[in-house]
Amino acid sequence: MSEQQNNHKQVFCFSSVVEEFGHIALESLRRGSSPKIYESAAKKLFVPMEMVQHGVEGLVFLLMESSKHMISEVNFLDCVLVLGFSEEVNRFLLKLYQEHQGQIRTIMKQLICSQPTYQNLEWRLDVQLASRLLRQQIVPTVVTRLFLTSGTDSSSRVLQTDPRTLLHIIYTLEAALAAVKTSHTRRILRNIK
Amino acid sequence: MELSESVQRGLQLAAEPSSVDHRGFQALVDSCFRSLLSSQGDPAVLDEPELKHVDRIQLKQVHSAATTFILEAVKQDADKSAVSSSLEELSFSTERIEIFYSSYQKHKKELERLLASIGRSPARINDVSWRLQYNTKNGQLDKVNEPSYLISLNTENQGTSEDISFTCTTEQLQDLVGKLKDAAKSVEKASQM
Repeated sequence: MSEQQNNHKQVFCFSSVVEEFGHIALESLRRGSSPKIYESAAKKLFVPMEMVQHGVEGLVFLLMESSKHMISEVNFLDCVLVLGFSEEVNRFLLKLYQEHQGQIRTIMKQLICSQPTYQNLEWRLDVQLASRLLRQQIVPTVVTRLFLTSGTDSSSRVLQTDPRTLLHIIYTLEAALAAVKTSHTRRILRNIK
Repeated sequence: MELSESVQRGLQLAAEPSSVDHRGFQALVDSCFRSLLSSQGDPAVLDEPELKHVDRIQLKQVHSAATTFILEAVKQDADKSAVSSSLEELSFSTERIEIFYSSYQKHKKELERLLASIGRSPARINDVSWRLQYNTKNGQLDKVNEPSYLISLNTENQGTSEDISFTCTTEQLQDLVGKLKDAAKSVEKASQM
Protein backbone atom coordinates (compact mmCIF):
# COMPACT_ATOMS: atom_id res chain seq x y z
CA MET A 1 0.00 0.00 0.00
CA SER A 2 1.18 3.47 -0.77
CA GLU A 3 2.49 6.05 1.70
CA GLN A 4 -0.70 8.02 1.31
CA GLN A 5 -2.82 5.13 2.48
CA ASN A 6 -0.44 4.57 5.39
CA ASN A 7 -0.83 8.16 6.48
CA HIS A 8 -4.58 7.80 6.41
CA LYS A 9 -4.31 5.03 8.92
CA GLN A 10 -2.78 7.28 11.57
CA VAL A 11 -6.21 8.09 12.82
CA PHE A 12 -6.92 4.52 13.92
CA CYS A 13 -5.73 4.85 17.48
CA PHE A 14 -8.79 3.73 19.36
CA SER A 15 -10.83 0.58 18.76
CA SER A 16 -14.15 2.37 19.04
CA VAL A 17 -13.02 4.71 16.31
CA VAL A 18 -12.14 1.76 14.09
CA GLU A 19 -15.58 0.25 14.52
CA GLU A 20 -17.26 3.47 13.50
CA PHE A 21 -14.96 3.81 10.52
CA GLY A 22 -15.65 0.22 9.56
CA HIS A 23 -19.37 0.92 9.37
CA ILE A 24 -18.90 4.06 7.34
CA ALA A 25 -16.51 2.29 4.96
CA LEU A 26 -18.98 -0.54 4.30
CA GLU A 27 -21.86 1.88 3.80
CA SER A 28 -19.82 3.91 1.39
CA LEU A 29 -19.00 0.76 -0.59
CA ARG A 30 -22.68 -0.13 -0.71
CA ARG A 31 -24.24 3.23 -1.28
CA GLY A 32 -21.51 5.73 -1.94
CA SER A 33 -20.15 8.28 0.48
CA SER A 34 -21.51 11.66 1.41
CA PRO A 35 -19.91 14.63 3.22
CA LYS A 36 -22.72 14.61 5.77
CA ILE A 37 -21.69 11.21 7.08
CA TYR A 38 -18.10 12.34 7.42
CA GLU A 39 -19.19 15.50 9.18
CA SER A 40 -21.36 13.78 11.77
CA ALA A 41 -18.62 11.19 12.47
CA ALA A 42 -16.04 13.99 12.79
CA LYS A 43 -18.23 15.79 15.34
CA LYS A 44 -18.74 12.61 17.38
CA LEU A 45 -15.01 11.85 17.51
CA PHE A 46 -13.77 15.42 17.88
CA VAL A 47 -11.50 15.21 14.86
CA PRO A 48 -11.40 17.24 11.68
CA MET A 49 -13.57 16.01 8.80
CA GLU A 50 -10.62 15.49 6.45
CA MET A 51 -9.17 12.96 8.88
CA VAL A 52 -12.40 10.99 8.88
CA GLN A 53 -12.56 11.10 5.11
CA HIS A 54 -8.97 9.92 4.68
CA GLY A 55 -9.40 7.22 7.25
CA VAL A 56 -12.52 5.87 5.59
CA GLU A 57 -10.96 6.03 2.13
CA GLY A 58 -7.91 4.15 3.35
CA LEU A 59 -10.09 1.47 4.90
CA VAL A 60 -12.17 1.16 1.75
CA PHE A 61 -9.00 0.75 -0.31
CA LEU A 62 -7.73 -1.94 2.06
CA LEU A 63 -10.99 -3.88 1.86
CA MET A 64 -11.26 -3.58 -1.91
CA GLU A 65 -7.72 -4.68 -2.67
CA SER A 66 -7.91 -7.59 -0.24
CA SER A 67 -11.21 -8.73 -1.69
CA LYS A 68 -9.97 -8.34 -5.25
CA HIS A 69 -7.07 -10.72 -4.68
CA MET A 70 -8.96 -12.86 -2.18
CA ILE A 71 -5.94 -12.84 0.09
CA SER A 72 -5.81 -15.32 2.92
CA GLU A 73 -6.04 -14.55 6.63
CA VAL A 74 -2.28 -14.81 7.06
CA ASN A 75 -1.53 -12.43 4.21
CA PHE A 76 -4.15 -9.95 5.38
CA LEU A 77 -2.70 -9.84 8.88
CA ASP A 78 0.78 -9.41 7.41
CA CYS A 79 -0.42 -6.37 5.46
CA VAL A 80 -2.13 -4.84 8.44
CA LEU A 81 0.77 -5.53 10.80
CA VAL A 82 2.92 -3.08 8.81
CA LEU A 83 0.61 -0.28 9.89
CA GLY A 84 1.45 -0.75 13.54
CA PHE A 85 -2.00 -0.93 15.07
CA SER A 86 -2.88 -2.73 18.26
CA GLU A 87 -3.74 -6.42 18.25
CA GLU A 88 -7.39 -5.58 18.87
CA VAL A 89 -7.61 -3.28 15.85
CA ASN A 90 -5.94 -5.90 13.66
CA ARG A 91 -8.38 -8.56 14.74
CA PHE A 92 -11.30 -6.24 14.10
CA LEU A 93 -10.05 -5.39 10.61
CA LEU A 94 -9.59 -9.08 9.81
CA LYS A 95 -13.11 -9.86 11.00
CA LEU A 96 -14.48 -6.99 8.92
CA TYR A 97 -12.67 -8.33 5.85
CA GLN A 98 -13.71 -11.93 6.30
CA GLU A 99 -17.34 -11.22 7.05
CA HIS A 100 -17.84 -8.90 4.12
CA GLN A 101 -15.52 -10.24 1.44
CA GLY A 102 -18.34 -11.90 -0.50
CA GLN A 103 -20.47 -8.78 -0.39
CA ILE A 104 -17.60 -6.55 -1.45
CA ARG A 105 -16.79 -8.79 -4.42
CA THR A 106 -20.43 -8.72 -5.49
CA ILE A 107 -20.44 -4.93 -5.38
CA MET A 108 -17.18 -4.77 -7.33
CA LYS A 109 -18.58 -7.08 -9.99
CA GLN A 110 -21.11 -4.43 -10.83
CA LEU A 111 -18.35 -1.96 -11.58
CA ILE A 112 -17.18 -3.75 -14.70
CA CYS A 113 -20.62 -4.42 -16.12
CA SER A 114 -20.32 -3.55 -19.76
CA GLN A 115 -23.31 -5.60 -20.81
CA PRO A 116 -26.80 -5.78 -19.40
CA THR A 117 -27.55 -8.74 -17.16
CA TYR A 118 -30.72 -10.76 -17.02
CA GLN A 119 -32.95 -10.00 -14.07
CA ASN A 120 -36.36 -11.46 -14.73
CA LEU A 121 -38.91 -12.40 -17.36
CA GLU A 122 -42.66 -11.92 -17.05
CA TRP A 123 -44.99 -13.45 -19.59
CA ARG A 124 -48.60 -13.47 -20.65
CA LEU A 125 -50.61 -15.43 -23.20
CA ASP A 126 -52.70 -13.19 -25.46
CA VAL A 127 -55.04 -14.12 -28.25
CA GLN A 128 -55.52 -11.36 -30.77
CA LEU A 129 -59.17 -11.28 -31.76
CA ALA A 130 -59.43 -8.18 -33.91
CA SER A 131 -57.57 -5.13 -35.06
CA ARG A 132 -58.51 -1.93 -36.76
CA LEU A 133 -57.94 -3.52 -40.15
CA LEU A 134 -59.15 -7.06 -39.62
CA ARG A 135 -61.90 -8.59 -37.51
CA GLN A 136 -62.45 -12.23 -36.66
CA GLN A 137 -58.87 -13.15 -35.89
CA ILE A 138 -57.56 -15.85 -33.62
CA VAL A 139 -53.84 -15.32 -33.23
CA PRO A 140 -52.19 -16.71 -30.10
CA THR A 141 -49.25 -14.63 -28.97
CA VAL A 142 -46.93 -14.89 -26.01
CA VAL A 143 -46.11 -11.42 -24.72
CA THR A 144 -43.10 -11.12 -22.45
CA ARG A 145 -41.39 -8.40 -20.48
CA LEU A 146 -37.65 -8.84 -20.17
CA PHE A 147 -35.97 -7.09 -17.23
CA LEU A 148 -32.28 -6.29 -17.56
CA THR A 149 -29.90 -4.39 -15.31
CA SER A 150 -26.73 -2.63 -16.37
CA GLY A 151 -24.75 -1.64 -13.33
CA THR A 152 -27.29 0.43 -11.42
CA ASP A 153 -29.67 1.14 -14.31
CA SER A 154 -32.48 -1.26 -14.97
CA SER A 155 -34.56 -1.46 -18.07
CA SER A 156 -37.37 -3.57 -19.37
CA ARG A 157 -38.48 -4.43 -22.90
CA VAL A 158 -41.80 -5.78 -24.08
CA LEU A 159 -41.34 -8.52 -26.65
CA GLN A 160 -43.72 -10.95 -28.27
CA THR A 161 -43.40 -14.28 -29.95
CA ASP A 162 -45.61 -16.98 -31.38
CA PRO A 163 -45.95 -20.48 -29.89
CA ARG A 164 -43.71 -22.12 -32.47
CA THR A 165 -40.85 -19.69 -32.07
CA LEU A 166 -41.24 -20.02 -28.30
CA LEU A 167 -40.67 -23.77 -28.53
CA HIS A 168 -37.64 -23.20 -30.77
CA ILE A 169 -36.17 -20.75 -28.24
CA ILE A 170 -36.73 -23.16 -25.35
CA TYR A 171 -35.06 -25.94 -27.30
CA THR A 172 -32.06 -23.75 -28.17
CA LEU A 173 -31.57 -22.49 -24.61
CA GLU A 174 -31.83 -25.99 -23.18
CA ALA A 175 -28.95 -26.95 -25.45
CA ALA A 176 -27.08 -23.97 -24.01
CA LEU A 177 -27.69 -25.21 -20.46
CA ALA A 178 -26.47 -28.67 -21.44
CA ALA A 179 -23.20 -27.18 -22.68
CA VAL A 180 -22.02 -26.30 -19.18
CA LYS A 181 -22.34 -29.94 -18.12
CA THR A 182 -20.23 -31.48 -20.88
CA SER A 183 -16.92 -33.14 -20.00
CA HIS A 184 -15.08 -30.51 -22.07
CA THR A 185 -16.50 -27.68 -19.99
CA ARG A 186 -15.97 -29.53 -16.74
CA ARG A 187 -12.34 -30.12 -17.60
CA ILE A 188 -11.73 -26.43 -18.27
CA LEU A 189 -13.57 -25.34 -15.12
CA ARG A 190 -11.52 -27.79 -13.07
CA ASN A 191 -8.15 -26.94 -14.46
CA ILE A 192 -8.12 -23.22 -14.99
CA LYS A 193 -8.19 -21.58 -11.62
CA MET B 1 -72.19 -4.33 -44.96
CA GLU B 2 -72.35 -0.63 -44.37
CA LEU B 3 -70.99 1.38 -47.26
CA SER B 4 -70.54 5.11 -47.58
CA GLU B 5 -72.40 7.02 -50.23
CA SER B 6 -69.38 7.60 -52.43
CA VAL B 7 -68.55 3.90 -52.35
CA GLN B 8 -72.12 3.03 -53.27
CA ARG B 9 -72.11 5.52 -56.12
CA GLY B 10 -68.78 4.28 -57.45
CA LEU B 11 -69.95 0.65 -57.34
CA GLN B 12 -73.20 1.48 -59.10
CA LEU B 13 -71.15 2.85 -61.97
CA ALA B 14 -69.34 -0.49 -62.17
CA ALA B 15 -72.67 -2.30 -62.29
CA GLU B 16 -73.89 -0.44 -65.37
CA PRO B 17 -73.02 -2.03 -68.71
CA SER B 18 -73.18 1.42 -70.31
CA SER B 19 -70.28 2.64 -68.17
CA VAL B 20 -68.23 -0.54 -67.95
CA ASP B 21 -68.85 -3.23 -70.54
CA HIS B 22 -68.56 -6.95 -69.93
CA ARG B 23 -64.91 -7.41 -70.89
CA GLY B 24 -64.01 -4.24 -69.10
CA PHE B 25 -65.63 -5.47 -65.91
CA GLN B 26 -63.37 -8.54 -65.63
CA ALA B 27 -60.31 -6.36 -66.30
CA LEU B 28 -61.54 -3.88 -63.73
CA VAL B 29 -61.97 -6.52 -61.03
CA ASP B 30 -58.52 -7.92 -61.77
CA SER B 31 -56.94 -4.46 -61.62
CA CYS B 32 -58.55 -3.71 -58.27
CA PHE B 33 -57.27 -6.87 -56.64
CA ARG B 34 -53.87 -6.38 -58.23
CA SER B 35 -53.49 -2.86 -56.89
CA LEU B 36 -54.36 -4.05 -53.38
CA LEU B 37 -51.95 -6.96 -53.42
CA SER B 38 -48.91 -5.42 -55.08
CA SER B 39 -46.31 -4.12 -52.68
CA GLN B 40 -45.85 -0.86 -54.55
CA GLY B 41 -48.40 1.47 -56.05
CA ASP B 42 -48.53 1.09 -59.81
CA PRO B 43 -49.76 4.21 -61.59
CA ALA B 44 -50.47 2.18 -64.72
CA VAL B 45 -52.79 -0.30 -63.02
CA LEU B 46 -55.84 1.13 -64.75
CA ASP B 47 -54.23 1.37 -68.19
CA GLU B 48 -55.62 -1.94 -69.39
CA PRO B 49 -56.76 -1.86 -73.06
CA GLU B 50 -60.20 -3.28 -72.03
CA LEU B 51 -60.75 -0.19 -69.91
CA LYS B 52 -59.90 2.38 -72.58
CA HIS B 53 -63.57 3.02 -73.29
CA VAL B 54 -64.38 4.01 -69.72
CA ASP B 55 -64.40 7.67 -68.82
CA ARG B 56 -61.19 8.41 -66.87
CA ILE B 57 -62.84 10.17 -63.95
CA GLN B 58 -65.51 7.52 -63.59
CA LEU B 59 -62.84 4.84 -63.76
CA LYS B 60 -61.03 6.34 -60.79
CA GLN B 61 -64.27 6.60 -58.83
CA VAL B 62 -65.08 2.98 -59.55
CA HIS B 63 -61.55 1.84 -58.67
CA SER B 64 -61.50 3.57 -55.30
CA ALA B 65 -65.04 2.42 -54.47
CA ALA B 66 -64.32 -1.17 -55.46
CA THR B 67 -61.05 -1.39 -53.52
CA THR B 68 -62.77 0.04 -50.43
CA PHE B 69 -65.54 -2.51 -50.81
CA ILE B 70 -63.04 -5.37 -51.13
CA LEU B 71 -61.13 -4.31 -48.01
CA GLU B 72 -64.33 -3.91 -46.03
CA ALA B 73 -65.50 -7.36 -47.08
CA VAL B 74 -62.17 -8.96 -46.11
CA LYS B 75 -62.12 -7.06 -42.81
CA GLN B 76 -65.55 -8.42 -41.87
CA ASP B 77 -64.83 -11.89 -43.22
CA ALA B 78 -67.90 -11.52 -45.46
CA ASP B 79 -69.26 -14.75 -46.91
CA LYS B 80 -70.91 -15.30 -50.29
CA SER B 81 -74.40 -14.24 -49.18
CA ALA B 82 -73.14 -11.01 -47.58
CA VAL B 83 -71.14 -10.04 -50.66
CA SER B 84 -73.94 -11.03 -53.05
CA SER B 85 -76.69 -9.20 -51.18
CA SER B 86 -74.60 -6.01 -50.97
CA LEU B 87 -73.88 -6.10 -54.68
CA GLU B 88 -77.48 -6.98 -55.54
CA GLU B 89 -78.68 -3.90 -53.70
CA LEU B 90 -76.40 -1.86 -55.95
CA SER B 91 -77.96 -3.34 -59.08
CA PHE B 92 -75.20 -5.74 -60.02
CA SER B 93 -76.22 -8.50 -62.42
CA THR B 94 -75.84 -12.11 -61.23
CA GLU B 95 -73.11 -12.62 -63.79
CA ARG B 96 -71.05 -9.69 -62.52
CA ILE B 97 -71.56 -10.81 -58.93
CA GLU B 98 -70.16 -14.23 -59.87
CA ILE B 99 -67.13 -12.68 -61.57
CA PHE B 100 -66.46 -10.49 -58.57
CA TYR B 101 -66.99 -13.23 -56.02
CA SER B 102 -64.66 -15.71 -57.71
CA SER B 103 -61.79 -13.18 -57.64
CA TYR B 104 -62.68 -12.35 -54.02
CA GLN B 105 -62.46 -16.01 -53.03
CA LYS B 106 -59.16 -16.42 -54.84
CA HIS B 107 -57.43 -13.51 -53.13
CA LYS B 108 -59.18 -13.38 -49.74
CA LYS B 109 -56.58 -15.30 -47.74
CA GLU B 110 -53.74 -13.20 -49.04
CA LEU B 111 -55.59 -9.97 -48.30
CA GLU B 112 -56.31 -11.20 -44.78
CA ARG B 113 -52.64 -11.83 -44.22
CA LEU B 114 -51.82 -8.38 -45.53
CA LEU B 115 -54.33 -6.67 -43.24
CA ALA B 116 -53.22 -8.69 -40.23
CA SER B 117 -49.64 -7.61 -40.72
CA ILE B 118 -50.44 -3.91 -40.61
CA GLY B 119 -50.64 -2.38 -37.18
CA ARG B 120 -48.53 -1.72 -34.12
CA SER B 121 -47.23 -4.50 -32.01
CA PRO B 122 -44.24 -5.10 -29.77
CA ALA B 123 -41.04 -6.34 -31.35
CA ARG B 124 -41.16 -10.02 -32.29
CA ILE B 125 -38.47 -12.42 -31.16
CA ASN B 126 -37.37 -14.44 -34.15
CA ASP B 127 -34.33 -16.29 -32.94
CA VAL B 128 -31.86 -16.62 -30.12
CA SER B 129 -28.12 -17.28 -30.11
CA TRP B 130 -25.90 -18.05 -27.15
CA ARG B 131 -22.32 -18.31 -26.09
CA LEU B 132 -20.87 -19.95 -23.01
CA GLN B 133 -17.75 -18.34 -21.60
CA TYR B 134 -15.55 -18.78 -18.58
CA ASN B 135 -14.45 -15.65 -16.75
CA THR B 136 -11.16 -16.00 -14.91
CA LYS B 137 -10.39 -12.43 -13.97
CA ASN B 138 -11.24 -8.88 -14.89
CA GLY B 139 -9.97 -5.38 -14.21
CA GLN B 140 -11.62 -5.18 -10.81
CA LEU B 141 -11.47 -8.72 -9.48
CA ASP B 142 -9.07 -11.64 -9.52
CA LYS B 143 -10.09 -15.28 -9.29
CA VAL B 144 -13.58 -14.84 -10.69
CA ASN B 145 -13.59 -18.39 -12.12
CA GLU B 146 -17.21 -18.48 -13.18
CA PRO B 147 -18.93 -19.67 -16.32
CA SER B 148 -21.35 -17.16 -17.80
CA TYR B 149 -23.66 -17.05 -20.79
CA LEU B 150 -24.03 -14.36 -23.40
CA ILE B 151 -27.52 -14.54 -24.90
CA SER B 152 -28.59 -12.58 -27.95
CA LEU B 153 -32.24 -12.26 -28.97
CA ASN B 154 -32.83 -11.39 -32.57
CA THR B 155 -35.97 -9.25 -32.70
CA GLU B 156 -37.84 -7.55 -35.50
CA ASN B 157 -40.30 -4.69 -35.50
CA GLN B 158 -41.98 -3.73 -38.75
CA GLY B 159 -39.01 -4.48 -40.90
CA THR B 160 -36.18 -3.24 -38.69
CA SER B 161 -34.32 -5.88 -36.78
CA GLU B 162 -32.51 -5.40 -33.51
CA ASP B 163 -30.37 -7.65 -31.35
CA ILE B 164 -30.92 -7.59 -27.62
CA SER B 165 -27.89 -9.01 -25.82
CA PHE B 166 -27.41 -9.76 -22.18
CA THR B 167 -25.30 -11.91 -19.89
CA CYS B 168 -26.51 -14.31 -17.27
CA THR B 169 -25.28 -16.99 -14.92
CA THR B 170 -26.28 -20.62 -15.21
CA GLU B 171 -28.92 -20.16 -12.49
CA GLN B 172 -30.38 -17.13 -14.22
CA LEU B 173 -30.56 -19.01 -17.52
CA GLN B 174 -32.33 -21.86 -15.74
CA ASP B 175 -34.80 -19.33 -14.37
CA LEU B 176 -35.39 -17.89 -17.84
CA VAL B 177 -35.89 -21.28 -19.45
CA GLY B 178 -38.21 -22.32 -16.62
CA LYS B 179 -40.41 -19.29 -17.18
CA LEU B 180 -40.48 -19.83 -20.95
CA LYS B 181 -41.52 -23.44 -20.37
CA ASP B 182 -44.36 -22.26 -18.12
CA ALA B 183 -45.54 -20.01 -20.93
CA ALA B 184 -45.36 -22.88 -23.43
CA LYS B 185 -47.34 -25.11 -21.06
CA SER B 186 -50.08 -22.53 -20.75
CA VAL B 187 -50.25 -22.22 -24.55
CA GLU B 188 -50.68 -25.98 -24.77
CA LYS B 189 -53.40 -25.97 -22.13
CA ALA B 190 -55.22 -23.13 -23.87
CA SER B 191 -55.12 -24.94 -27.20
CA GLN B 192 -56.81 -27.95 -25.65
CA MET B 193 -59.78 -26.07 -24.28
